[in-house]
Amino acid sequence: MVFRVWYFLRETLVSLWRNLSLTLAAILTVAISLSLVGSSLLIREGAERATAQFQEGVEFIVFMNADVLSEQDVAIRDVLDTSPAIAEYTYIDKAAAYQEFRELFSDKPELVESVTPDIMPPSYRIVPANPDADNVAELARQFGEQPGVKEVATATEAIRQIEDFSTRVSQALLFAAVVLVAVSAVLILNTVFTAIGARREEIEVMKLVGATNWFIRIPFMLEGTIHGIFGAAMAIPALFVVDNRVLAYFQESEAVPLFRGFAVPDGYVWNTSIWMLVIGAAIGMVGSAIAVTRYLDV
Amino acid sequence: MIRLEGVTKTYKGEVVALRDATAEIQRGEFVFLVGPSGSGKSTFLRLVNREELATAGTIMVAGKDVGTLSSWKVPYLRRSIGYVFQDYKLLPKKTVAENVAFALEVIGRPRPVIRRKVPAILDLVGLSRKSERFPEELSGGEQQRVSIARAFVNQPLILLADEPTGNLDQATSVGIMRLLDRINRSGTTVLMATHDRGIVDTMRRRVIELDRGVVVRDESRGVYE
Repeated sequence: MVFRVWYFLRETLVSLWRNLSLTLAAILTVAISLSLVGSSLLIREGAERATAQFQEGVEFIVFMNADVLSEQDVAIRDVLDTSPAIAEYTYIDKAAAYQEFRELFSDKPELVESVTPDIMPPSYRIVPANPDADNVAELARQFGEQPGVKEVATATEAIRQIEDFSTRVSQALLFAAVVLVAVSAVLILNTVFTAIGARREEIEVMKLVGATNWFIRIPFMLEGTIHGIFGAAMAIPALFVVDNRVLAYFQESEAVPLFRGFAVPDGYVWNTSIWMLVIGAAIGMVGSAIAVTRYLDV
Repeated sequence: MIRLEGVTKTYKGEVVALRDATAEIQRGEFVFLVGPSGSGKSTFLRLVNREELATAGTIMVAGKDVGTLSSWKVPYLRRSIGYVFQDYKLLPKKTVAENVAFALEVIGRPRPVIRRKVPAILDLVGLSRKSERFPEELSGGEQQRVSIARAFVNQPLILLADEPTGNLDQATSVGIMRLLDRINRSGTTVLMATHDRGIVDTMRRRVIELDRGVVVRDESRGVYE
């Protein structure tokens, strides 16, 4: 058994090496297509996290200054308690805001360390009586003029921006990715086909002396699977680049306050990476399986 | 060991390669399959090896009906059949020893077995001293010996040879025939397609003659014509 494993590995490596240019092309195509698949997933996840605060009917959030005076805070609370326009609200104090921040950026300890509870802005998450966009915009404007208020984030505007952005980008990426995944499968099929052609004589002898079909097929299927896995492995660093540069760019953006939540924990990036390895291996197996069943039968 | 009953093989529905052929070959026999080119000799061998399926009739090989044998069992049938070609079909990038070992490797024989069997079989065919050479460094006769070693190393029940002396001169052919005769004497059934009149007439073994796909003669201790 050990001997067989060694045989398969040797044959696979020899074949990969003989076919180097096609092998590299196949691996790179897999890498590019899976990078796009992964980026699309990251952007979706980022958008979902960025808008997580706006769940359960919350339409706008009033962020107070971190050094808000207590009478300013009381004045805001007074309006919230008495105004018929406000259905309900939740107060997120500094400690809770800090806790939430820690959870959101649990995989970025350096970021968590850079803040302390006392610099976190406390906020009110507000469910208005009338969720109509014009009404929310008017309420937001009024709260924004109150003393002690740092800024007001409205769900309608911010969520629409983020969702629009993430949907469009991730759909475009996903479309390109699907096309490229198909291209990589075909390229792997061709590479394996070429490998089969290069070893036609050997295969003829193998069949003649009674090698089983699986014995003949396995090295070729391994070859295709290696294309897929290596391609996926190359796409993983690309994912971290997307996470650290592209998503981070949005987090630092001043234009849209909610993009600051546009972060995915490293754990999610790693999970996505594992999925990419699985998808890569699957692409390789499917491509090479088609090649061997089409060209290798008894 | 090999039995054909009313076997017909047509290609693409029109070219008849073998027509209602019936023959039975016992274990340990040495049989020449003779006839002009295109008479159906190669088809006969390919049917026995199940490289092709008969259009009609039954073929039994080593107790198995090859027509109804499921395709995953075919490799196991072929392990009991050695095959030798006119053009040797050696792998040019492998040495003599590697070519022979390859036949054992790909059917999953353990390495100690391979290490034991390969030198023994190379000794039998008289190529012990050339085991590290590559096929292109050998003469035609030597290459055919390697090919026979490869076909015989797994000790098959049957050895099929398709014009094994077709590319060799008379003296070299005699050497190859001695080797095949020796293999036959060890109990292996040998079925050899040839149109080498000299060999058939000298050896005086059973002769099955084909003409345009029809078995026209089957005699023990026969001659070419």
